[in-house]
Amino acid sequence: MVDIQLHDQSCRGCGMCADICPTRVFDYDDEKNKASIRHAEDCIACLSCAYICPSGAITHDNYRVVKNFYRDLTFCGKMEKFL
Amino acid sequence: MSENTTKEPVTVNLEWLSDCGGCHVAVVDLHEKIEKVLQAVSIQRCPVLTDIKGYPHARVGLVSGAIRTEHDRHAAEAMRENCDLVIAWGSCAVYGGIVGAGIVHSRNEIFDTVYNNCKTTGTHTSPSVEVSPLEKFVTPLDEIIDVDMYLPGCPPHPAFVFDALISLVEGRTPKANKRSVCGRCNRVMKKTSTDSIKSSSSGIPDPALCFLSQGYICMGSVTLDRCLAPCPTNGVVCTGCAGATMQVLTEPNRDIRTEIADRMSRITRIPRQAIVTEIERTAKSHYSYTMASSMIGEKPTFLINKWLKDAEASYE
Repeated sequence: MVDIQLHDQSCRGCGMCADICPTRVFDYDDEKNKASIRHAEDCIACLSCAYICPSGAITHDNYRVVKNFYRDLTFCGKMEKFL
Repeated sequence: MSENTTKEPVTVNLEWLSDCGGCHVAVVDLHEKIEKVLQAVSIQRCPVLTDIKGYPHARVGLVSGAIRTEHDRHAAEAMRENCDLVIAWGSCAVYGGIVGAGIVHSRNEIFDTVYNNCKTTGTHTSPSVEVSPLEKFVTPLDEIIDVDMYLPGCPPHPAFVFDALISLVEGRTPKANKRSVCGRCNRVMKKTSTDSIKSSSSGIPDPALCFLSQGYICMGSVTLDRCLAPCPTNGVVCTGCAGATMQVLTEPNRDIRTEIADRMSRITRIPRQAIVTEIERTAKSHYSYTMASSMIGEKPTFLINKWLKDAEASYE
């Protein structure tokens, strides 16, 4: 099953993940200005939240990676070597 | 201590190509921790510390700076030949950095501005000796030689330099994260009713509220965190010095301006297209660190020369 994590310290409280999620995985706390994962089991790994999050605080594991042909694979390979 | 001294120290060469030299200073910024590094590392060639002119064989080579001159190319090739592991160190080596903004000017324009028409010097002639001729384009290090690792940042915060050096010595993988500068910033990103873009010199920004929420164009959300966010936490917008985040670099359909505009238009009332247009108008500032990198500079939608002409035309 897909695994979704949110790095709590990095959350800036914009709430965009909660707005964009099609399956309402997130909960948003207005007082603390923080998002949290409430229904991880509903995540369909569309990755919309990971892409919209300004901090890059949301990560997914154990999901099927769809092959896409538009990426420059040589360049993407370099990303693995970033320290 | 005894454990470290019994081991053979790791030999390191450092080299400085076209850049400001700040990356070398970042090593000194390790403060007391440099003691720990120096126990395990033996620094050989280093333009600011040692007087070694050649390129002795070393296990690790740290190369900072972009390839701008013919000398840079020769020095980079010599480092590759003599170092087992080469690290592109700092934004100039990884993306072309601030030097990379030279891709929008011809060599003649650069020589004219720096030497022939320089208002603060009296000679007004281009040098014919001792200054290495310029290469046709500015390029990041990895377009000239094979690079084993990349450590972006302008300069990379000493915490990342320390972690990289120690992990290489200990043979483990450094724990570098892929989060953005926003992840370290302490401002709250709230939805506001701001409806216009502000220039960085207008008004006094609220220190607790995100710059994007206030209408200032901050590059924190599209910039890799290799700095621990000193600028936004001290009231200055992020200028993107550590280079673009992974999603901008790896996805051809995502770009610095579209990513900022997507987020900013969701938390303010500024239309998305107005933000895109404003970033294009000021593109030389917003793309300065990464435009020499092929993944940014060669995106079909990256029309820097057109944007510069449009901006010049709008000045009348």
